[in-house]
Amino acid sequence: MTDGDLDAGGSTMSDSDLDATDPRTLPGFFDALADGELLGGVCVDCGQVLLPPRPACYACGSRSVDVEPQSPEGQIFSYTEVHTPPPAFAADAPYTVAVVELADGGRLLGRVTADYADVTIGDAVELTVREPTATEREVALDYESDWPVHVFEPR
Amino acid sequence: MPEPVIASVGASPLGRTDLPGRDLFSVALAEAFDELPDPSEIVEAVYVGNQSESYEHQIMQGTLLAEWAGLRHVPAERVEGCAAAGALALRHAVKDVRNGEHEAVLACGVEKMTSAGTSGATDALSAAFDRAIEQRSGITAPSQYALLGQRYLHETDATERDLAEIAVKNHANAARNPRAQFPKEIDVATVLESDPVAPPLKLYDCAPVGDGAAAVLVTTGEMAADLDQPQVRVAGSGASANNIAVAERDMTDIAGARIAAETAYEEAGIDAEAVDIAEVHDAFTVCEALLAEAAGFAPTGTGYQSYQPPAERANGWTDVQLSPSGGLKARGHPIGATGLLQALEAYEQLTGAAGDRVVEDAETALLLNEGGVADAVTVGHVLTTAEAQ
Repeated sequence: MTDGDLDAGGSTMSDSDLDATDPRTLPGFFDALADGELLGGVCVDCGQVLLPPRPACYACGSRSVDVEPQSPEGQIFSYTEVHTPPPAFAADAPYTVAVVELADGGRLLGRVTADYADVTIGDAVELTVREPTATEREVALDYESDWPVHVFEPR
Repeated sequence: MPEPVIASVGASPLGRTDLPGRDLFSVALAEAFDELPDPSEIVEAVYVGNQSESYEHQIMQGTLLAEWAGLRHVPAERVEGCAAAGALALRHAVKDVRNGEHEAVLACGVEKMTSAGTSGATDALSAAFDRAIEQRSGITAPSQYALLGQRYLHETDATERDLAEIAVKNHANAARNPRAQFPKEIDVATVLESDPVAPPLKLYDCAPVGDGAAAVLVTTGEMAADLDQPQVRVAGSGASANNIAVAERDMTDIAGARIAAETAYEEAGIDAEAVDIAEVHDAFTVCEALLAEAAGFAPTGTGYQSYQPPAERANGWTDVQLSPSGGLKARGHPIGATGLLQALEAYEQLTGAAGDRVVEDAETALLLNEGGVADAVTVGHVLTTAEAQ
């Protein structure tokens, strides 16, 4: 709440329109990602990038959020290697995970298809998308089972 | 408004135990009420901090534990915020007493983490992270904090050895704490040579998995006096949620913790320099460094010096002593109980019941309890002796 100015105007889209085709919902976001398109929310009022898109901006509270394609290119912001995985991913360990700062300003966590020893902060990477493995489908919730998995590849 | 006080505390043994959660609670409650009337005679409401139903396939912890305490027909509920659940329960109790709704409220916490081994705990804890992006990428609690740690080492002069020294310091404190899960000293080489969990974090940078319960009775000052109990004032309470995904936060300025601490300071009418002891959420060694900065004890980039004696720290550090209990690292970290174990330590320190580990002349304590990774949610409390103003 800000300074008693509580008029309801300003939203570019009404949340009552939200359905599973809207990229501000997870099904809508992952449908686009399956086609190779990374969509981000972009706050109309402050420019904050929101990954994945959502109806409201955490930075300023605005509910005016546009949806725009985001560059898949970025740099390693921080990274580590998982030696003690959750049971569902036991066969994959150890694997490298990073927070990547994308060229359009958003940050996203994901696996990196490189050995931990070969990664460092600032490395250039590119987001790619693959179908879930049989193991990943096994542990997925019903509504997640067709969602693609994003990974970062060194450039 | 009545000022809430802590009138009594109790805890179960911590670590690998043969007791289920409700029985751990009974042990903690028995200690807290050892010299008091039965809970049914004074307790008006119950809040239970509890991380996950996956350990014992049990929700309804409020109902269950109230009943096991001999209470029926009182408001009772579970409070969830991963590892901050305990301090959230304390905060609810504090607010109920402060706003005059109740005179005596039981804040308790319980976790039976060893019920399904390390993999069960890893899986249960991973539920704290964003399902859509983070969980599906295979992230874990240690690897989340490792991302913070890697970034912290990149941005500051801190080294892996400094982080190891924090673990050594907290084990030394725990060696004087009869409640500790690991009451033994370790050396730096033990930490540095321990198995990698998520680099730069190694096994001895990580708090252990363990069982435990804690009970804290929050009352009006008047009731604590009537009960003839030593009392500690709850002078301030703050809480703050931040983004669920760590990627979208500032990873070295732990803003949620800063806001929770500043809110608690403001309510208490103090600043960071007034704090003598702090129990902070050192689930991983780097947390103590980050939280020392967020709490205002250390200039940016120097929080890792928390293991050094006050006179040897950088200019701008306060003389606070961190994690006198041994912290989550060595005292133990039964998730839902941890925030209340922090309050228990401060109560014992401020009422002269801390034995060999007492911090002399301590009058003011800060508690910082985090849930999720880092400041996904943070709760801060300022506790003071009855005499301090």
